[in-house]
Amino acid sequence: MNLFVFLAIAAAMVLIQFVVTRWVKLNRLAWMGIWWVALWAAFSYGINPPLPNSIILLFMAIITIALVAYLSADNEELKQAQDSIVRFMVARQYRVALLIVLFAIPAAVAAWTYVSMNEAPQPPSSGRTIHPPPPSSITFEGTAIDLTTANNPIRELQHTDEAAFAEHVANGRRIYFENCFYCHGDNMQGAGMFAHGYDPLPANFNDATTIAMLQESYLFWRIAKGAPGLPSESTPWSSAMPAWEDFLTQEEIWDVIIFLYEFTGFEPRAQGMPH
Amino acid sequence: MYTAYPVVAQQENDLGTEAQRAEGKEVYDIKCAHCHGYEGDASAVATPYLRPTPRDFTSGNYKFRSTASGELPTTEDIKRSIRLGMPYTSMPAWEGILSETEITNLAYYLKTFESAFDGPYGNPTVVEIPRAPAYSADPDHLARGREVFEANQCADCHGENGRGNGESAPELVDDWGYPIRAADMTKRWTFRASATREDVYRTFMTGLNGTPMPSYEQTIDEEDRWALVDYVWSLSRDTPDYGTTVIVQGQPSELVLGESLFEGVPETYFPIVGQVIEPGRAFYPGVNGISVRAVYNDSEIAIQLRWHDMTAETEGMNNPGIEVPMFDPAQPDTTMDGWSDAVAALLPSRTPEGLERPYFMFGDSRFPMSIWYTDLATDSAAVLTGQGAGRIADNGIALERSASYEDGVWTVQFKGPRNQGGLTMPEATFVPISFTVWDGFSGERGNKRGLSAWYHLYLEPMEAQSAVLPMAKWFLIVLGAELLIVALVNLRARRRKTA
Ligand code: HEC
Ligand code: HEC
Ligand code: HEC
Repeated sequence: MNLFVFLAIAAAMVLIQFVVTRWVKLNRLAWMGIWWVALWAAFSYGINPPLPNSIILLFMAIITIALVAYLSADNEELKQAQDSIVRFMVARQYRVALLIVLFAIPAAVAAWTYVSMNEAPQPPSSGRTIHPPPPSSITFEGTAIDLTTANNPIRELQHTDEAAFAEHVANGRRIYFENCFYCHGDNMQGAGMFAHGYDPLPANFNDATTIAMLQESYLFWRIAKGAPGLPSESTPWSSAMPAWEDFLTQEEIWDVIIFLYEFTGFEPRAQGMPH
Repeated sequence: MYTAYPVVAQQENDLGTEAQRAEGKEVYDIKCAHCHGYEGDASAVATPYLRPTPRDFTSGNYKFRSTASGELPTTEDIKRSIRLGMPYTSMPAWEGILSETEITNLAYYLKTFESAFDGPYGNPTVVEIPRAPAYSADPDHLARGREVFEANQCADCHGENGRGNGESAPELVDDWGYPIRAADMTKRWTFRASATREDVYRTFMTGLNGTPMPSYEQTIDEEDRWALVDYVWSLSRDTPDYGTTVIVQGQPSELVLGESLFEGVPETYFPIVGQVIEPGRAFYPGVNGISVRAVYNDSEIAIQLRWHDMTAETEGMNNPGIEVPMFDPAQPDTTMDGWSDAVAALLPSRTPEGLERPYFMFGDSRFPMSIWYTDLATDSAAVLTGQGAGRIADNGIALERSASYEDGVWTVQFKGPRNQGGLTMPEATFVPISFTVWDGFSGERGNKRGLSAWYHLYLEPMEAQSAVLPMAKWFLIVLGAELLIVALVNLRARRRKTA
């Protein structure tokens, strides 16, 4: 959200409501136009990251229908609006203004045609689901693992055997700095020395929307099967996340998962809760 | 926040308090020890995988200093290195991750690894860096800078035009015996500690301790220094401007490989990073970017690849299928003789549906890759089919190729059919493409290589569609509709009046 843009829009609306109306009387139709423009500006410039054009178009279509419905709900108002439009088209005193409007609208459409034809072509972009639903089970080196029930076997040690747990954390650290930090970065922010070479960017584990909201079994799947294991709607092959099943053992993967949580200070989401 | 040095304590070494050092150690053991070592001696779990090697703090040799050559850094120098990191190495920038207090504590803790900080040289004098005058691109000024560059033999290491390809560049080693590359001055963004013009000034005034980069404080006159800075500055654009799409221009005539074929064709620059997944991990690829141009006609496409390479390896051999160990020791390149330079443009083996792509590591059996490959020790090129590392076969399609190496730049041009096997490249479409460069000098071979992610070729339609007709069409349609409405409304109004 861009608070500054919202404040500016609100200020403009207040200005129109209390100052401009002293000199110009605004009828219902004009007000609708003003609201329409204000909402459009808010959607187009007030939201970060920017909404895609298609979404804005959709919102504006809904708002247009809503405004028209609002207007036509009241017969009196509809008539008032209609009358003002008809007067504009018929009355002699508006002749020049009418001509200007008549030419301005098609000229704007033509200009828009020109701009859209000269836009740089856009490469196909991935409509990536960030956390696609995992399969219910995977095979790891020939054995089946049920992802809906799998727990990190190392987790127990956290409360029963601190020394052994610390050893697993240290092993996870070794694995992370042997294999992962080139992409995910020293500080797990997804900004490793080679991260700039990839799109999509390597995941940022400090972000509350990655490992903090995932179960350990989900991470196991992502690490074991990597990008090649993603479902096809997540465009598996454009992501650089390797499949580690060829290089790490089951226990090593659980260790590195423990390390991810220890280093970032997050807790995994408990097993059994929906994704 | 800026912490000024206490004026009264000027003569005392700035070592912090016991508590500060202890707190520094706590952060260090979690955030730094796996690279720099618990004892600060750069022997740690991650060091075998890192080039350049993490700093050995027990040596007291710091690259970045505001102090004279050979001296220790100030506390503020160390803090700056921690804050900003060293770009294009594994040393991250910690600003925003660690607090200013933590960074200060760390700097005091790092000093404990080298006893000299506690001795008579522990309070080094700072080399004054004057405020930089505005950058000047005045030809005389830059020509003077060039003279200074030549007179001081910067080119011996950095190359005639600063591309890091000087005559002695291949032999350079740092104080620990590791090979080190002279900076490529045409890629300023890869400088370790030279983000601004003051920094470049400081670099040649103070030198980089522990590296062959000397100090020129005694040899370059004060009035020439900014001319040299600006000359170095003029060699590079500000940012890498990494692109994502190569615009391929259409040509009605035959495509004759050569310099003139790509004249005026836009060039796109892509990052190249090390392959760090499968066996053959390349932690410090010899090449970090590639510039690409392409043109097509009705049946063929020609692609030009250009990259900076310190030396041309045109002896020996190379091949994407060569078997390689998990990784080579991070030790000298000189043990790596016998591998030639090579390059490839990688395409999907069939026209992809939607966003589907071959796995970027050389493809797999589900979706193979077409690898346009040339070993620069030979003078031929061919299309190979990749189904993953170790599963690469020649598929018999020959490509036309030209290659040249000049002053640190390789230029390779490929020409091949626009439609081959299952892959077609019609006009106005995006075709996935990626790139791989093998630097023979660094022992890159097989799956040890610098690679890129997937990007796109876009074949610009040969006859750009003119916007005039569609514009006129829409103008008239809208105007007609408006006139109709106005006419109807007027007609009705008049009728009502007369009624
Ligand atoms: C070559 C670069 C690369 C390396 C090396 C790499 N990753 Fe990734 N990783 C990625 C990218 C890119 C993504 C984001 C795209 C995706 O989800 O596939 C990702 C995503 C992930 C995710 C999913 C996070 C989420 O929020 O869904 C996990 C977990 C992960 N990586 C763990 C690891 C671990 C553990 C290692 C080391 C054993 C590792 N990665 C090594 C590139 C890499
Ligand atoms: C992933 C490995 C890695 C981690 C983690 C890391 N460094 Fe470094 N560091 C390096 C490398 C590599 C270099 C050398 C870069 C070069 O020589 O160009 C370096 C260099 C340095 C330098 C020397 C700068 C100079 O002028 O020579 C300092 C100071 C430093 N690191 C401090 C730290 C501190 C403090 C931390 C922890 C907060 C840290 N580093 C974490 C890899 C790392
Ligand atoms: C003996 C070889 C040698 C000579 C001569 C030499 N340099 Fe360097 N220079 C190096 C090396 C090696 C590096 C890279 C050090 C590193 O990677 O940390 C370097 C790095 C640099 C950098 C980048 C510093 C950074 O922040 O990364 C600049 C700028 C530079 N040199 C300028 C010069 C200028 C100007 C001259 C001539 C007045 C010169 N060098 C002469 C070897 C040399």
